Amino acid sequence: MIETLLIMWRESLEAALIVGILLTYLARSGERAGMRYVWAGALGAVVAAVAMGVASNGAAARLGPDAQEVLQAGVLLLAVGVLSWMVLWMHRNARQIGGDLRRRADRALATGRLVGLAAIAFAAVFREGVEAVLFLWGVVVQRADASAPALLAAGAAGAALAAATAWLFFRGFAFLNLQTFFRVTGILLLLVAAGLLTAGVNKLIGLGYLSPIEPQVWNTAWLLRDDSVLGALLGALIGYRSRPSLLEVLAFSTYLPAMGWALHRADVAARSASERGPARSAA
Amino acid sequence: MSALALGLLLVLAAAVRAEERSVALAVAEHGFTPPEIEAAAGERLRLEVTNQTAVAIEFESFELNRERVVPPGRTVAVYVSGLSPGRYEFFDDFHQERRGALVVK
Repeated sequence: MIETLLIMWRESLEAALIVGILLTYLARSGERAGMRYVWAGALGAVVAAVAMGVASNGAAARLGPDAQEVLQAGVLLLAVGVLSWMVLWMHRNARQIGGDLRRRADRALATGRLVGLAAIAFAAVFREGVEAVLFLWGVVVQRADASAPALLAAGAAGAALAAATAWLFFRGFAFLNLQTFFRVTGILLLLVAAGLLTAGVNKLIGLGYLSPIEPQVWNTAWLLRDDSVLGALLGALIGYRSRPSLLEVLAFSTYLPAMGWALHRADVAARSASERGPARSAA
Repeated sequence: MSALALGLLLVLAAAVRAEERSVALAVAEHGFTPPEIEAAAGERLRLEVTNQTAVAIEFESFELNRERVVPPGRTVAVYVSGLSPGRYEFFDDFHQERRGALVVK
């Protein structure tokens, strides 16, 4: 029972944290429309995950396990692209807002960005959702007796606990002033994207498509175990693994400076634009 | 920048096609068969994990940094390569009493 709860907590944590950070960001910047899109993306992913679970679990499975894993890796890499684009846009947005929210009506989210938000939420929930569906399916099939409903309830409680964990985590952010808040969420989202990239690379290595170069660069299990609560939290949020391969470390550590450079370039462009003509800043 | 990263990945992908050895690993109700696999250091292995039970399992190993869900009755290939001598444990994350290990010599 406890095991079912813990497994579902872990399987749902990443989705809860990523959806949580998006909702927190949108709530703080007063973008109600964006929040609806995040929920739509997350709910769509639940439906898709159930469909995928059924498609891969039935006797007449339509999708081979390897094809499914490739699809998962693709979803991850796509999410990295969309998330990077969102962070760049949020960064520009944060500059414009300053401490002042009165102009929020002028900055209503464009449709493309709303779809982007939905896509990130979809990717986050879909990834863990398929595993959760297969796991819970197993729980029900294995215990075709009276204990199945209780175990399902334990699973649901685990997912609810993950949502509560994310809620508590982001509640702490409420005490930050707006500018610090945008800076912190921006950095956190970059780390999340780097973690998703690493997870995608890890899948491609496991599938045999990429070489790990060196299977284990270091081992920090003595410091933080993968299956500890903090290890699971950091694993879900920024892709922490105690024994990463060299290629994963390279992917993570190349992504961050690359995005730092892109953000810096956006800053320079914005500054020279405002020097040329302050009247044009209200784009 | 991302095009550069993609190019790098493609180069790495080309380098991956080394010789490999397939090892069958079955998962039944009582656990992994065989419970222990032996391999030589640096060898590239293709672990063919077959789920013989009626429900999904998740092949997982912190030591190997691998994690794969296997639907009932299906087989997935999990690649590991370049390992140093040592004992690498794996388990079924959905039924954690099922455990096994890869011993690299």
